[in-house]
Order: sequence, then C-alpha cells, then structure tokens
Amino acid sequence: MTDLETYRAKAETWCESMVPAFGKAAREGLGVEEDLALGRRYQKAKFDAGYAGINWPVDLGGQGLGHIEKITFEAEEMKHGFPNVYFGISLGMPVPVLMQFGSDRAFVKERVLKALQGEEIWCQLFSEPSGGTDLAGLRTRAETDGNGWKINGQKVWTSWAQYSDYGVIVVRTDPTVAKHKGLTYFWVDMKAPGVTVRPIKLAGGDSHVNEVFFDDVKISDDHRMSPVGGGFAVALATLMIERYVATDSAGFGPHLSLFVDLAKEVKLNGRPAIEDGRIRQQIARNHTMRAGLDSINRRARLMMQAGMTPGPEGALNKLVAVRSRQKLSELALDLQGTDAFPFDEHASSRDDWASSWINAPTGRIAGGSDETLLNTIAERILGLPQDHRPDKGVPFNQIPA
Amino acid sequence: MSILYDEGQQAIATESRRALEARVSKDDLLPLLQDSGKYHDGFWTTAKEQGWTALALPEAHGGLDLGLVELGLIAHQAGRSLSGAPFLTSSFGAAKAIELYGSDEQKARWLPGLASGETIGAIAFATGPDPLPATPSVALDGGRVDGTAAGVSGGLFADVAIVFAREDSAPALAIVDLGGAKRKAIGSFDNSRCIADLIFAGVPAETLVSGEAARAAALHILALQAVVTAHEQTGGAEALMEIARDYALTRKAFGQPIGAFQSIKHRIAELYGLVELARANAIHAAAREGQDDFITAAAAARLSATEAYDTAARDCVQIHGGIGVTWEIGLHLHMRRARTLALEQGSSFFWEDVLVDRLAGEGA
Repeated sequence: MTDLETYRAKAETWCESMVPAFGKAAREGLGVEEDLALGRRYQKAKFDAGYAGINWPVDLGGQGLGHIEKITFEAEEMKHGFPNVYFGISLGMPVPVLMQFGSDRAFVKERVLKALQGEEIWCQLFSEPSGGTDLAGLRTRAETDGNGWKINGQKVWTSWAQYSDYGVIVVRTDPTVAKHKGLTYFWVDMKAPGVTVRPIKLAGGDSHVNEVFFDDVKISDDHRMSPVGGGFAVALATLMIERYVATDSAGFGPHLSLFVDLAKEVKLNGRPAIEDGRIRQQIARNHTMRAGLDSINRRARLMMQAGMTPGPEGALNKLVAVRSRQKLSELALDLQGTDAFPFDEHASSRDDWASSWINAPTGRIAGGSDETLLNTIAERILGLPQDHRPDKGVPFNQIPA
Repeated sequence: MSILYDEGQQAIATESRRALEARVSKDDLLPLLQDSGKYHDGFWTTAKEQGWTALALPEAHGGLDLGLVELGLIAHQAGRSLSGAPFLTSSFGAAKAIELYGSDEQKARWLPGLASGETIGAIAFATGPDPLPATPSVALDGGRVDGTAAGVSGGLFADVAIVFAREDSAPALAIVDLGGAKRKAIGSFDNSRCIADLIFAGVPAETLVSGEAARAAALHILALQAVVTAHEQTGGAEALMEIARDYALTRKAFGQPIGAFQSIKHRIAELYGLVELARANAIHAAAREGQDDFITAAAAARLSATEAYDTAARDCVQIHGGIGVTWEIGLHLHMRRARTLALEQGSSFFWEDVLVDRLAGEGA
C-alpha cells in the first residue's frame, strides 16, 4: 500500500467509527440548534483525531500534511452525512485568509484553534443586495473614525452568519476611484454593537443564509487585513484558496443508482420504467456525464500526488453536475407521479428527490452561477474576451446606479 | 483507474500530431468527398511508416505490444486532422478479433500483414440500425458464407473481414478472405471511409467463435473499436472547439469580437465541457481494457464522444455564420465525419442500451 492508501484506509476506518455518534441516524429528527451542537462535537472529534486543518501549518493547530491528504479525507467523510456543513465556509475561506493575512499572530492562533475545534465559526461577508457576481460593485462603506473605522451598509446571502462569532468583510473605503480600487478587507466581530443578523428562509424551507446589517459598527484599524484600497486582491485570494476540494459528480444530489432503483420499482405503461427508452436514455446520459467528471477528478488527484497542478477542467464539476442533478430530480418526481407529492422539508438532498429538486437552484447560483462559470471558462481557459463592461475604469461614485 | 500519460505516451501524441499536420490538409480531403473509391494515401502511408498499424498488436506477430491508451492517442490526433481513411480502426478491430479468438495458424496468417498495414481489415457486424443483429444477414454454412454485409467501412479495400454471421439459428464470428467477395461501392456523405457492400456467394470462411459466445466476442471487438473511435471523435471535437474559439476572437460585429457576446462565448465554453468530459471518459475506458467494467467504460466513452463531436460540428458551423456553410472552408468535413463516426461501431441508441443493461444489472 502507498502512504496515501494507508492514510485513506485509516480515514475510512475513523469515519466509519464516527457513524453511530454523528451519522445520518444520529441526526434524524434534530432541530438546527441541536444539530449544530452535535456538529461542534463532531468537529472537536475530528480535531482530536488529527483530521482538522489537515493541510494547515502545525504551529496553528493543523496537521502540516498536503492538499491531497485533505481531499482524500474529505472523500471518505462525504460518504456519511456528518453534521459538518456549519464549518464548511468557516474553515474553507475566512479562517485560511485570516491565517494568511491576519497581522496579530497571537490573535490569529487563538482564533484558528477555536475554529478548528468547532468552538467558533466564521462567515464571509461578500455579496450585497445590489450584486453578488459583480463583487467589486459592493456598496457597504467604511469611513475613518478616529484611529479606526465605522462600517455602514448591508450584506446578504451570508451563510451561517446567525451562528458566526466572526466574519471577514470587504467594504468600500474610497468611492472616488474605480470600483475595484476603492475596497478594503477587514475582519469583524459578529457580536459587536450595530451588527444585526436576519435569517432568510429559502424556497426549500431552510434558513442557512442571512441578511447582515451594519449600523455604525466601529472597528479598530488592527482589524484591517489588506492595505487600504487593496481589498479586492485579498477577496480574490479568498475565492482562489480552495480550487480543488473534494467534489461530487452527483452535484450533492442523490446517486444515480437511486434513480436506477426507482426506475426498476416503478411501472410506466404497465412495464418497469427501466425498460422505457426515455428513462434508459436519461440514465445513460447522466451516467456518462458523471463518469466523465469522476475521471476528471481522479486525474486531478493523481496529478496532485505527482506534484503537478491539475488542469482547469476541474472547473466543470459544479456547472455540469448541479444542473443535471436538477433535471434528473424532476424526472424522478415524474416517475413517481402523484406518489411524489408527500414532501419532507427536513429530508436530505442526497437521498430525497423532492428535496434535491427544490434545493437545486441554490446550487446553480451560490458560489458562482452557471453563467459566471461559463464566463470564467470562456475567458480564463479559452482566452475569449471579457463581456462589455460600461463601468470599467469609471470612478465608483460616477457609475449610474 | 484513471491515468496520467507518461513521457513515452506524450511523445506519441506530439509526434503523431506533427506527422499528421504535415501530411494531411483540408485541400487534400475536399476532393475525396466527390470521388467515391479513394482514400488519402498520405494518411495511410504515414500510419504504416510510423508503426501505428502495429501499435496495439502483439510483438510475436509483428506488433509493438502497446495498447488502447497509445492507439487512442494516435486516434485523437487522427480526429483532429481528419483521418483520410478508416483503416486504422477497422484493421485494429479485425486484428484484435483474430488475436483474441483465432488459432495460431490464423494469427500467423493474418496478423503480420495487419500489423505492417500491408493487409487491410474490416468489421462486418451490422445490419442497418442493428450493430449486432439477432439474425445476421450473412449465413455461414460448411465453411462458406452467403449473403450481403451492407455498409462496411473500409470494405472497398479490405483484404479480410471479420463477419458476424448466422450459423443455423446461432450467431458466429467468421474470418473471410475478401479475395472471393464482390464489393459494391457506396457513394456516401463521407467518401474517404471507402464504404462498400460486401457480397458473398459461397466465399470460403473460417469460424472464429460459434454460438452465443460469438455475440459477446463481437460486442467486445465493437467496444475496443468504440474506444479508439471515441478518441478520434474527441480529437475532432477539440479541433472544432479551437476553430470556433479562434474565429470568435478574430471576427468582429457591432464593434467587438463576436467572442465577447455571451451567446457565442458560452456556446464555446459548453463545447469545452463536452470535450473534456469526452476526453476523460475516453482515457478512462482505454485504461480499463481487460477489466470487468471495460464494456461499461467503453459505452460511456462512446456516448460522450459522439455527443461532443456532433455538438461541436453543429455549433462551430453556427458560430461561423454564412462562411461556415461554404464548401471551401471545409467545416462540413467535420460535420460529415462526426456523423460517420457516430454510425460506425453502433449508434448511441445501441450503446445507451449496453450501458443501462449493465447499470441495472441486466448485462450479459
């Protein structure tokens, strides 16, 4: 066995040993608060077992291993439905950025250790009501206030802000220059006076995203994580941190084998649906697409193992997997006809077709919409021109609202 | 199992690309369309000189003992450059059938010639829409074949064919020396495929596989060819994606390159997705030769490559507008080839069924 295979096998064993305490059955029927509490205990167990901060520096509480070990562990972990969703953003982006750009190292170390053990959660305050894709067009502003800053404005779609202790935020500090040049990056205490978090109930019934209001929120200058006016570069660095995470060719919806099982059970025109050409074609097409993504992902992993940089084709996973999950989920409901009506708001998108269907649009929008991803492929990979941008180079305060 | 190409394999890709780009041009290929009965001699000569015909065949019979992965790399380049003859795939299929199911005598007789390229092989399995018909149109009886194998790619020049025949009421796979066969050239939309009906009247034939095992053997040969073809289709799709991208960067409308319009750039980005999925599936399938899930992997490779090439052909022409439909620009060479390759080795309907049978646990 290679070292990595040994590592994987140990991770597999550990994950399996966690199923009784933290698996799907243990989570069944829990409210969000209870599930979060369970999640904090799970995160602590990960930390104690050496599976938190796998590729982070040892002096900050990490394991000092490679990216490949991290995604190897995640691929095992993903099989079990553990309550880790609350820490995905926190440990995925804000905390790594804090490690990279935080100036007070003692403070950084304390925060990182607490985040790794599930005691503290960080959120990422980027999107605003006036735009998400157009990040540099944000309007929340910070003005100098004595030796520090005063923040006013509103963020939106902030995941887990209601449970967050801290957040990283990009704000406008100079409206008189071109939009991406007037931004600065800070961290904020989410419990500070003037911060109001209001959960947004989504179409599927859950409320993991929030509106966050800032009314004269005062912070000292040591919260600043970029040069004044240099916030956009740090924001881009945040978004580039995790280019290769453990991906899922099912688009975080049900596995295709569940659809095949359904098609064998259900009858269409008096015959098993699996014999119907329309259904067979969809199964074949979905399998082919998912098998392609799986091969791309395996190749990326092999390249990382060989010390190479994976190709840009990894960018396809989210685009291709989620939209096909959406269509396949519709088809699964079609197959059940009126039997598909009973709806459980708390069912998992991973094994329930209605839940997968109703939550699929979020997957096609959050973290880069389909259209944004297509632009990225066209511009960054294929070298096609940027879209026409009438606000390019125009001082922010002269862009027509 | 997925693979990373090693240095030797990367050299095969680079060298075959160099050779084909130097030897095959659109200007050579266009006239072939209007002249049934001709293939691109430069292409086939190159294939023989470079040892591509020998690549995936056993060393004991004049081959180079490499496999589908390496042949796939050549096929990918052949797809990019529009191969000028179908023999690379058809001879490979015929040779693999003889290597896997033939006697020592049959191997000694046929494989060295197929490996050197002096002998051309063909596969005659299909009847119209059915790549592996329940009742094959050719009958095998007492060491002779009778009947017509229609629409055989490479059939016009092949020296030997592997024929899927009926023997009493059971299927059989037979080797037929085409010296005794009549050929009727088919004027197709892609004439350099050298498609012919092979007409047999008491032509001597040797049995390779008898009974139901013949069907599984024929499917295996089809799958091997399908993986080679999937690489060729992926190469064609990749070339079209690049042609579309280059055109979108240079052609201007309303004061900007048309590639700045999302209707164009997103279309090309979608092609990128199809090409990369097809490439990943093709590489994976090539690496699965000899494993239990080879047929499943081959089916996925085949389906995604067909979708990629057909879509790229449609969209590349569309992005070009009027100039795209002219004879001179030659995009129709790819349109034609995309459809030809989609029909050879079984249509998407066939491979969808092969795949779903296996996914649903109904596979033979």
